[in-house]
Amino acid sequence: MQDAAPGSPLSGSPSLGFAAWRRLGRAWRALRTGLAFAMFGILGLGLGLVVFPLERWRARGAPADAVERRCQRHVYGVFRVFTALLRGLGLAEVRIRGAEHLLAPGTLLVANHPTLLDVVMIGACMPQLDCVVKKSAWSNPFMRHVVSATGYVPNDLGEAVIDACAERLRRGRSLLLFPEGQRSPEGGLGPFMRGAAHLALKSGRPLTPVVVRCTPPTLMRGQKWYQVPERRMCFDIEVCKPIRFQLGADPAEPRAAAARRITSDLRDFYQKRLHSFER
Amino acid sequence: MKVKASRETIYQWVCDILKREFQLTDAELSLSAHLIDDLDLDSIDAIDLSVRLEEKIGLSFKEEDLKSIRTIQDVVDFIDARLG
Repeated sequence: MQDAAPGSPLSGSPSLGFAAWRRLGRAWRALRTGLAFAMFGILGLGLGLVVFPLERWRARGAPADAVERRCQRHVYGVFRVFTALLRGLGLAEVRIRGAEHLLAPGTLLVANHPTLLDVVMIGACMPQLDCVVKKSAWSNPFMRHVVSATGYVPNDLGEAVIDACAERLRRGRSLLLFPEGQRSPEGGLGPFMRGAAHLALKSGRPLTPVVVRCTPPTLMRGQKWYQVPERRMCFDIEVCKPIRFQLGADPAEPRAAAARRITSDLRDFYQKRLHSFER
Repeated sequence: MKVKASRETIYQWVCDILKREFQLTDAELSLSAHLIDDLDLDSIDAIDLSVRLEEKIGLSFKEEDLKSIRTIQDVVDFIDARLG
């Protein structure tokens, strides 16, 4: 178009330039994204303010475990609605492989954390799922009701978290941990904390790694929801075969040493998986 | 049981435990080494370290004690003060 000679029919045409179309497309995408998130927020508030109080009232005297499971099922419902919305509005495409590894009760899942949405995508496959959540959520007016009714685990420091997680696994509840403890850096993998390894050692459960890839990168650390990617997000979620980490050959290996070994093996596993996908 | 020990000996005990429990090497260990930033200990490791020190020296650590400890020097000072 820039080559059009002055006076040619193209030159003063009122049609929008490519850049303008792109901006418009982006605004339209941001609008649909906003809609999806608004819906998500409303459903979340509905859970916290209406559904969960009702569940608690209905279950007076029932064991906490049963109530928490029912509340987690509602969270699963909201996640499903939200992912259906993202798909329906053409905002995201989700591909999940190996979902059969999610079915066994008491599964200990670990995942990398490229975007805020990965927990939603994984949660939309699991009617019961415990997670470890930032402790500050218990004092956040929007999150407070949800995290307390579902029995999610606050990320206090040290042994208490491991014990709380192990207790849930023992009850046959599945649990998701992000070993990085925060969202992954763009296109990479942050340092791993050793909680997942300690939990595997304590509970004797294998670790089921979930490898999440999201292109183009979306909702990374520090990104706002309206900074939408230019094209549809594509989530590729691979649930790998559970890995049983061998206890060391040396029965006297201190648990701190074992946790270091397992954590480093697990991170290598992720490095390889993410790298093999790039090629 | 409490034991008497020089600061040298205390430093040696602490280093022995760090090497055995956390697979650290002599090159990484010094009085100024920061337990979290330099030696990559986490909150669970801090508990393990205090348990091992309790076994070795018979001192018990409280949570507040652990909070004020940052470097190996702090560990040695803490033990030295309590044994003294």
